[in-house]
This record gives sequence, C-alpha cells and structure tokens, in this order.
Amino acid sequence: MVRLSKENHVLFLLIVGLLGWLVPGAGHFLLKEKIRAIIIFATITLTFCTGLYVGSIGVIDPIGAKPWYVAQIMNSPMVAVLGHLTAGGGFPVYGKPNEIGQIYTSVAGLLNLLCIVNAVYWAHLQRIEPAGE
Amino acid sequence: MSIIADFVIATFTAPQHVQTNPQSMLWLLPLVAAIAVAYKATKLPTITAAIFLKEVAVLFGSIVIFIIITALVLYALAWLITV
Repeated sequence: MVRLSKENHVLFLLIVGLLGWLVPGAGHFLLKEKIRAIIIFATITLTFCTGLYVGSIGVIDPIGAKPWYVAQIMNSPMVAVLGHLTAGGGFPVYGKPNEIGQIYTSVAGLLNLLCIVNAVYWAHLQRIEPAGE
Repeated sequence: MSIIADFVIATFTAPQHVQTNPQSMLWLLPLVAAIAVAYKATKLPTITAAIFLKEVAVLFGSIVIFIIITALVLYALAWLITV
C-alpha cells in the first residue's frame, strides 16, 4: 500500500477538521461515516436553531458577550456573518430568552468542537491503521 | 416563497417570551438530549438504532438524575444555612 507523506496526512486532517467546522458532521461524512454525520448534523443544527428561535439572532453578540461568542463560532463560520449583523445592537434581547438562547447556541458550538476533534482523531487512526492491516 | 422566507427569518429576529419560573427549568431537557445524542454519536464504535437509542436513553437518564441529586443537595444546603 502506498503510504501518504506526512504533509499530505496533516493536510487531510486539516481538511477533515475544516469541513466539520463549515458544516457540522461533514468531517465524519468525508470519512464515510454517513449515519454518524447525519445524527451530528441534525442534533447540532437543531440545538443551534432552538437557541436562535428562543433568543433571536441577538444572542450572538461578538462585542457584549465575547466568551459566549467564542463557543458559538465553533458551530460554523455562518455565526460570524450573524455576529456581523447583530454587532450594531439592532436585535436586543434580555433576561431568560437571552440566557436560554446563549446556552443552547454555545453548547451546540462546543458539541460541534467535540465532533470536529473526534472526526480528526478518526481520520488520523484511519490513515495510520488502514482497515485489514 | 418570499413571504415564507420573510416569515422564517422574522421568527429568528424576535425573542420568545419565556417566564422566569420553576417550569423554565424544563428547558434543560432538550439540551441534555442533544448532549447525549451528540456524545454517543462520537463514542459508539458502530451505530445501530437499538443500541444507539438505548445508550442515549441511559446517558440522558444519568445526567438528569445527577442534576436532580445536585439540586436536592443544594436545596438542603440552602435550607440548613437559612433555617
């Protein structure tokens, strides 16, 4: 079997991680783990959208709630677009809806981070221990 | 199509009304379910519907029971301090 060079291996891991960040579950999809990818995509997207539904896109606040934003941006780069929209303070949200929305969207982001790390780890294992060897 | 799109976008631009009462604690249940599903999706070596649902249910129950125990301990501590 032709072994990939170390640089190609690192590049592949980077692609898996980046895909998992662009679309939740896409990293696993690339590794031909389709059921896992669908479950991850549905769970993270639903959790994130529930947070946005309860608290509105105002819960994504890159200026006033930076620590939450760091966790939220793990969902997808799309969060940065939403953050750009809300940065002017046009979508104010306070109290319980803000609290629940921030928790849901941030937990969704942290779950996606877990899935990205998992996909990269699996990609690493697949390359160094190909099936059947 | 445009009206539907506007309606969907509008849904996400205004917050919902959520009261601060004991029932609002139930908002943790969907979150716990999401955590259990995503965690088990990454940890199980092979995914079949029966095994996956069983594992998710066990983790979901474990987390909820642990939260209830923690809440009871904190409630008892608060009661002891304030009595």
